[in-house]
Amino acid sequence: MDLSTVWDLFVTGILRGGLYALMAGGLALLFGVMNICNFAHGELFIIGSYMAYFAHVTFGLSPLLAILVATLGSFVAGILIEKTFFSTLRKTSKGEWVMNAFLVTLGLSVVFQNGAQLIWGVKYRGITQYWEGTIQLTPRMAIAADRAVAFLISIGAIVLFWLFMRRTQIGRAIRAVSQNERGAMLVGINLNNIHTLTFALGSMLAGLGGASLLSLIPAYPFAGVKPNIRSWFVVTVVGLGNVGGAIIGGFIVGLLESFAYYFLGQGWQDVASLVMLILLLLFKPSGLFGSEVKGVLER
Amino acid sequence: MLQVNNLQAGYGGLQVLWDVSLSVSEGEFVALIGPNGAGKTTTLRTIAGLVKPRSGGVTFMGRPVDGLPAYQISRLGISFVTEELDLFESMSVRENLLLGAYTIQDRRKKQDSLDRVLQLFPRLGEREKQLAGTLSGGERKMLAIGRGLMSDPRLLLVDEPSLGLAPKLVLSVYEALLELHRRGVTILLVEQNVNTTLHIVDRGYVMEQGKIVLQGTSAELLADAYLQDTYMGTDVSLV
Repeated sequence: MDLSTVWDLFVTGILRGGLYALMAGGLALLFGVMNICNFAHGELFIIGSYMAYFAHVTFGLSPLLAILVATLGSFVAGILIEKTFFSTLRKTSKGEWVMNAFLVTLGLSVVFQNGAQLIWGVKYRGITQYWEGTIQLTPRMAIAADRAVAFLISIGAIVLFWLFMRRTQIGRAIRAVSQNERGAMLVGINLNNIHTLTFALGSMLAGLGGASLLSLIPAYPFAGVKPNIRSWFVVTVVGLGNVGGAIIGGFIVGLLESFAYYFLGQGWQDVASLVMLILLLLFKPSGLFGSEVKGVLER
Repeated sequence: MLQVNNLQAGYGGLQVLWDVSLSVSEGEFVALIGPNGAGKTTTLRTIAGLVKPRSGGVTFMGRPVDGLPAYQISRLGISFVTEELDLFESMSVRENLLLGAYTIQDRRKKQDSLDRVLQLFPRLGEREKQLAGTLSGGERKMLAIGRGLMSDPRLLLVDEPSLGLAPKLVLSVYEALLELHRRGVTILLVEQNVNTTLHIVDRGYVMEQGKIVLQGTSAELLADAYLQDTYMGTDVSLV
């Protein structure tokens, strides 16, 4: 194997990792701040795909505008979901919160899948591409401009999200809630607002992923299953509730799959990932970056 | 400033406070003392809104605050430094302090608060970048009190600041509280350490088994025969 093959695999892995990082980062955020094991994360991804599809194809918005609309729409959808279900649930379940919230997400995902089927039918709503053309990365390797832009968008979103969490007052408040809820209340932070905002942010990151990858994964009632499993895989590998770890983990898993695909053949990349997961759970159950320190965005 | 009237409160099936009444006036330094399990912490928690009262009321600055969520009470100007401190362990000292001023929007006011707190606790300035979880016991208390002061509160509730500290550090925490008092901060302090506490506060309430059993100025309480017998027999004065 020569060096350029390694480079090609590397690029493929990183491109793939961008999406995983976006999805897993949001998932880790929801667990780290709100203790929600969100099994409807793939559905949040699909909400983004559907919105981008309708905005771009039905209403003829430009690609960037369509992605923006879908991203903001996913944010609003997150607010509605949190206010309707989790905020209500939080008032009634104290001790069994983690289990109850998890079951609610499972229920939401089933309802969404069947609801989407009822409304939009079992039909793929995809596009061939947002942007035409390819980008020549190496003499032998060209990637679709679409992939490149989607990747840049996810990196941009991750950087913005990171700065928001680190540098702004509200981001700091979100981290504070993840570390000590009582301390957060005592300094005057309204937990309800932070919970709603957090869910909306997680939902927005997933929706952005769905919208920017519409050409690769068309909107379809059950298309959320795979992204959901992938993001769960990433957060399990790095340790639940660690956003920074989930972002790095997204890239690690992307690379792992890309190399496994090449060396073991198609279909085997999942086996490689799952073997890694099993080994990790056997020998370091807290995950690659798991530690005793509680906090959603801390090393 | 703070009025607690016939408060009854508890956790689940367990009632802890039985008809507790107390008051703190503007600028006063008041102590709530008594043995372990007397209900001192529960009293503070109820004032701060972490525990909902079953009956009775809490009035702050002439307005009823019982039943309000904790974050709103904090925004009205009551800072509560808990016994557990409730620091944000994986954040830096600076971030913890800035979060203390979460409700202050004005950047300049925020910076003023920060300067004031760092001047009061220079040690925190030296450790500004360090994570709260890596501080020593004394520094943690300083940080918790400093964070509580960042919002420029009208009333500071402090729960057992001497707990788990070496005598020398206890002294420096008390000195800090006295300094705050001199600067005009109203303080309600909960302590088990009766003798030392009564030497620094203006007035005290003694609590036993969920009831206020004695109250008076610190001089009166220090001279009280019952208190001397029960609490001060072997206590070594630190001040």
